[in-house]
Order: sequence, then structure tokens, then C-alpha cells
Amino acid sequence: MLETLIAEDDKEVPEKGKSGDEWEPKIIAFLCNWCSYAGADLAGISRIQYPPNIRVVRVPCSARVSPYFIIKILQRGWDGVLVSGCHPGDCHYISGNLVARRRFSVLKDILEYVGVEPGRVNFSWISAAEGERFSKVVKEVVMRVKALGPAERLVKGG
Amino acid sequence: MEDLGKTMQDVARRLLEEGKVDLIVGYEKGTTPIRSTPCFIREAGDVQKLIWDPTCEANLTKYLLDRDERIGVVAKGCDSRSIVVCLAEGQIDRDRVTIIGVPCQGVINRKKIEAELDKQEVVEATVNDEEIKVRGEGFEKVLPTTNYLCDSCLSCRHRNPVIYDFLVGEKVPEVEDANDFAEVEELESRSSEDRWDYFTEELGSCIRCYACRNVCPMCYCKECFVDETMPQWFGKTDDLSDTMIFHIVRAYHLAGRCVDCGACSRACPMEINLRALRKKAEKIVKERFDYEAGTDVEEAPVLGTFKQDDSQEYIIK
Amino acid sequence: MNSKILGKNQLTKFIDEFIGEYRVFAPVKKGKIIGFDEIASGKETCLDFQNTKQPPKSVFFPQTEVLFEYKKGEKGLEKAGSGDRDKILLGMRPCDARALVIFDRFFSSGEHEDLPYLQKRERTAVVGLACNHPLNTCFCTSLGGSPFGSEGMDLKLVDLGDEYLVEILTNKGEKLVEDIKWLRDAEESDLNRARDLAEDAENAMKPKISTDGLCDKLDGMFDDPVWEGIHQKCIGCGVCSFLCPTCWCFDVLDEDTGTGVKRVRIWDTCQFPLFTKQGSGFNPRPSGKERMRQRIMHKFNYYPKDFGEFGCVGCGRCVRECPVNLDIREVIRAVMSV
Repeated sequence: MLETLIAEDDKEVPEKGKSGDEWEPKIIAFLCNWCSYAGADLAGISRIQYPPNIRVVRVPCSARVSPYFIIKILQRGWDGVLVSGCHPGDCHYISGNLVARRRFSVLKDILEYVGVEPGRVNFSWISAAEGERFSKVVKEVVMRVKALGPAERLVKGG
Repeated sequence: MEDLGKTMQDVARRLLEEGKVDLIVGYEKGTTPIRSTPCFIREAGDVQKLIWDPTCEANLTKYLLDRDERIGVVAKGCDSRSIVVCLAEGQIDRDRVTIIGVPCQGVINRKKIEAELDKQEVVEATVNDEEIKVRGEGFEKVLPTTNYLCDSCLSCRHRNPVIYDFLVGEKVPEVEDANDFAEVEELESRSSEDRWDYFTEELGSCIRCYACRNVCPMCYCKECFVDETMPQWFGKTDDLSDTMIFHIVRAYHLAGRCVDCGACSRACPMEINLRALRKKAEKIVKERFDYEAGTDVEEAPVLGTFKQDDSQEYIIK
Repeated sequence: MNSKILGKNQLTKFIDEFIGEYRVFAPVKKGKIIGFDEIASGKETCLDFQNTKQPPKSVFFPQTEVLFEYKKGEKGLEKAGSGDRDKILLGMRPCDARALVIFDRFFSSGEHEDLPYLQKRERTAVVGLACNHPLNTCFCTSLGGSPFGSEGMDLKLVDLGDEYLVEILTNKGEKLVEDIKWLRDAEESDLNRARDLAEDAENAMKPKISTDGLCDKLDGMFDDPVWEGIHQKCIGCGVCSFLCPTCWCFDVLDEDTGTGVKRVRIWDTCQFPLFTKQGSGFNPRPSGKERMRQRIMHKFNYYPKDFGEFGCVGCGRCVRECPVNLDIREVIRAVMSV
């Protein structure tokens, strides 16, 4: 499913080297079904504006997001990744986000150590009631990624 | 050193004669100078093949996996920690393994000697903890062992085995404050771009032979992630992106499990500095979760557990 | 065809004669490793080595090769192109040159010619480099080779000290040097010196392992218990196969590029379990024992039975680089002593 989503959208990935006003980053956002996705939904219902740069993938829990997803997305030329889950203590599956918290911290640091720019891979806790916050987080992430320019490192064939 | 080799042989002989083990896995002299090779002994009469000196580099824990036999294995400090990790992860049955621990003061990286001697080939060598005597056509040199130790050994903080059934020799003093993250710290101080250049250069010569993966006792997956086809996550070609990802993911998979025995760095035919990447993963779990691999069989794997107050600075809250 | 003399200080000038008109591949120092690479100028060449880490097979048979590519929206397939200019491969040792002959035989056997390999391989002249000082891990003489062998070469350089003797071995070789007028002709003394060096080198190749009757002996040994012990320390990586100048096995994969499909071939090795794993899940070579047996049988029994020579040239790379020092010479000895 994820593969199809990426493949269909790939043809719209902007040419490399284009930056400035014309270029808009493309970011995938993994939102956990019970909290973050519901929060995004709330933002939508409340007509809260947020940048259209994200493509949402709904997952049951932030722990479902494997490091392979994140790395493969970077490899395919997407400019940024956001993974968002429930606040610690609120996980629908009790402790998924707590295990994920450790793992993502290690992954993020290794990626940044190898040279992937800080800001490409982002993580957040957003609850179902935080529609306004969701839009703020998206704006923040888009801003971070935009400042980095189009993804080049780790991109295959690039 | 002679004594320890003999002691090891005695222990092995007794274990075989008393029927406590079916197989002894140790080191014997290699076929080229300055090398040892893993040795598998099933008859008590063969134990005199066993040696112990700074050429005994292989991590023999690898040979404990996927076997039904009762095995007596020689284990240095780092090797014993690998055994602990494999025990904690349920890959080895403690009852089937007899650990012949041996305190170690470092193993030689023969590539360092080759670099020193440039193109002169070593024809004969004798090695002990103090010096390496090499002889070849038209030259004879005595080299101090400490200058040619493997990088992982230079800052080793676990020279003595942490788990063993027999200890061959006396324990050696540990170097408590060895800074084994010096190289990582240096790389951390560089810019993101510099680090990217460094790693693309190092990992660019990888030929995907998987010697690093196969020599590692902790890489025991029946199907490695690079071989998965449903789905195929990453390519198997020597494309730079795929190759870097292989090493990044392997380092991630080893976070909190790698004991820095150095086997992978020594195995790499292209002499890639794998330690620079692996050690970062080790540093992260040490500093963030106060966790060190292979010191406690009972301790839960660091990325398989969590604490309520784990740091979450990196998360947008 | 008279041999010529090339002063060592003229080597760069000699190589530069070809750059531009030919694509030149020579040993180059890359970091800590010496390997074959395309050069843009003679001064990049490093002939001060015993043998390169990787064999020159990667020039014609790279680790990764795109066979063809299909891009969405475009008609037809884009096939990988062939070489444009003629090529020169300089600095190949006799073992590697012999191995090239074995490779050629494989890639052009029967009705199926391997175009990606052959298109690169044709129009390539080989300038070999004789071995004055074989390493102790070299054992070409035990397998029908020689440190001063000429098989597979068009020109052969022999290091005489301050000069190279340039032996012209084929018409292709003759054509290469016929326009280089500043090479002086070799004299009898030069040829004698080369002969002496050849003799010294041959005498220095020790210890010799006996391979008399090895092929026939292996015929009845498929189920011999010797295989139980031989494979034990093997960790099943690809170092021996990937560094071997006579190993040619490859895997063909299709990669999703996002906008199409790329069919690539990559090096493979019979030492990987996946090599013979079938779609059903069954694997006829389930353990290291069967896979090691396959490697030895292939090199020393199946191949010689088909083609009359061993599938190993004794370059010694596997001996030097095996992470656990599994020495193929010891394997041969073990088999011979059964």
C-alpha cells in the first residue's frame, strides 16, 4: 500500500536542483490512527489551514512505522518525513509509542550522523484534540524542510 | 603466552575426555604468517593444535549458533559479551555451551602491519603481547605489538571475559577510562556536509560481499533485510544509496547489541572503516539509555524496552 | 616481432600515448587499496604492487550492470550501450590474464553470447606484467600457470630493474606499439635477463601443492565425509567469490525505479544460501557443507572435465582475504590426502 502511494506520486516529485519560490517540499506524514490522525481530522473539520505539502499515511500506532519506511522514503527523493503518535501514556496499545520513542531517537541520530540533514526526519506527539497544534506542527516541519532544499543525500539515482 | 596456550589445551582435553562437550572451538595457527584460524576439535588427541596469542582475532561466538552439539568455546572479553547478547536474545542454550574464557590484551590488525611494511611480504613471524618479530626477503624487524592492535582493542574496556566456565590465565587490569568514542566525537564535531562526504567516500568502495554481516555473531537473521523480496526494501547493487543504507540499517540493527569486537572491520576486504559508524550507535544507547551491550544476561534489550522518562527532546511536543 | 625496451621513467609517456584514442584501465591507488580503474593520464598508474585487491574482472563484468531499462511513458527498452573506444587493460598479472581466457570462454559459450560482457571485452588489448616476486600465497604453478605466463596477453611487460622489457605476443600487441617509434629494440642481454628472472620467479613459488589427478579423484568424492570438516569455519560471505578472477556467477534482479523498471545483474556467489533457494522454499544446498563442496567441485572437477583446465588460477586473493583464513590450498591438500 505504501509502495503504491509512493509510486503514484513519484511522477510529481519536482526536478532536483529546483529551489526557491517554485519548489515546494514533499513530505510524508505517518499519523497514528487514534491520536494524530484524529487530530488532523479535527483540523480539517475546524477548517484550520495548514500547508498542503504533506501526504498522510494512517497507521494504527506510531510503532508501526518501521525505520525501513523512513529510509526508503528518503531514498525515493521525498524531502521530509513526519511521524506522529499519541502522547506518552495515551497510546491506544498502551506502550507502542514508548518503544517507538527509543527507536526513533536512535534512528534519527544515526541518520544525522551519516550526513542526512537535521530537519528531514521529524517526530511529534499530537493528540486527537489538538487540531490547532497539528496545523502548527505541520507548518513547523514544512518550514524546516523548506530551509534544507530538495533532498539529495541518500536519494537513489541522484 | 606459551603457558596460556598449554592451559587452554589442558582444559579442552579434559572437557573432551570427560565427555562434557562434543566439540571444542578455538584457534589454531593460520596458513599465512600473523594469522590464526578457527579450529574445530572433536578428538582429545587434537587439542595440541590450540594456540593463544594476539593473532587470535576471530569472534568464535558465531560458531555457537545453529548447532545442537555441546560446545566448548574459547572466548576473549569481547567474545564473551557477544555470548551474553546471544544468550539474552535466546539464540544460545546456556546448558550446551562451556565457555573457556581468556583475558585478552588486544589482537593484531594484520593490515596495519602490511601497511607498515609496504610491499615487503612477511614470510615468518612470531607474535606475543609485547612484540611481533617479522622476517621476510631481505628484512627482519621487531615491532611493538601495541602499535599494531586492532582499533577496537586500543580502547577496550572489557579485556576480561564477563562470563565463563573456565578462566585460562590471570585476569588482566581493565582500562576503565579508555575513551572508545574518540573517533565518533571527532566526526560529530564536523559539519553535516563533511560527515556526508566522509561516509560516501568510505562506504563507496563496498562490494556488498557481506563479510561484515556474516562474521558478526549478532547478525543471525535467517533472512537478512537486504534479501527480502516481499517487499524489497533496498536494492542489492553497489549503488551508493543502497550501499550506504545497508550499512546504516546494519548499524541501527546493532544498536545496543554490538560489542565492538572488531571482527567486521577486520573482515572487510576493502578496509572500510566500519567502526566509525557502528560506534555511534553504541554511543547513543550508552549516553541516552545508560546501556552497554553484553554485560548482563538478565537485562532486557535496550530497544525492546522503554522507561517512562526516556528522553524525548527530539520530539516536537 | 622484436621485443622492445621501455625505461621505467618513460612509463607515463608510454601510457599517455594511448590515452584519448583508447580507454585505458590500469592499477590505481584508491585510499588504502590498489585496484583497476580507468585513468585519464599515465601518471595515475601505480605498477608498484604485487597484485590488486580486486581482480580486473570488474572492468568487463562490473559488480552492478544495468541490462536494460524501461521508463514509463517512453516506448521501448533502453539497452545498456557498448564501449565506444577501444580499450587497453594494463598491468594484469599472468594469473589474472589466464583467468580472462576462462571468463571469455564462459561468456561466449554455446549459442548464448553474453553481449554486455563481450561488447566490453572485444576491442580490448591486454598489457600484462610478469611477476618477479610472487607472494607466498600465490600458487599459479600448481594449477598450470606461471609467474611469467603469456596466456591472454597481447603485450607483456617484464620488470628488468630500471627498464621494462616489452614482449610483443600478438598482432594486436604489435599494432599497439608499431607507431611508438621511440621505444628501443631489446638486445640479447635484455632477453637473457628476463629469462633469468623468469627462472627465479618459478623457483620461488613454494610450497607447491600437488594437483596431479585432483580432478579424477574428486569424481568419486561427492559423498565423502571430508566435506564435513572443510566447511566448518566458513561464514558464507562472498569475499572469495567476489575477489576471484575466475568466478563469474551473477544474479539478475528487477528494480522498481519509481518511474519504470531496471533489470540489473549483480555479482552472486554459490556461498550465499539464496543462490540455490527455490521458489518452493526448498534448497538443494541447505548448508555450508554442500556449498563449499560445490565451490571446490566446480573449480577442480566440473570445470576441468568440461574444458580441460582448472577453474582456479592460483592468484591467492581468497587465501589472503578470507576473514577466517579458510585456505583453498589446505582444502586441496585435504582432498588429495583422502
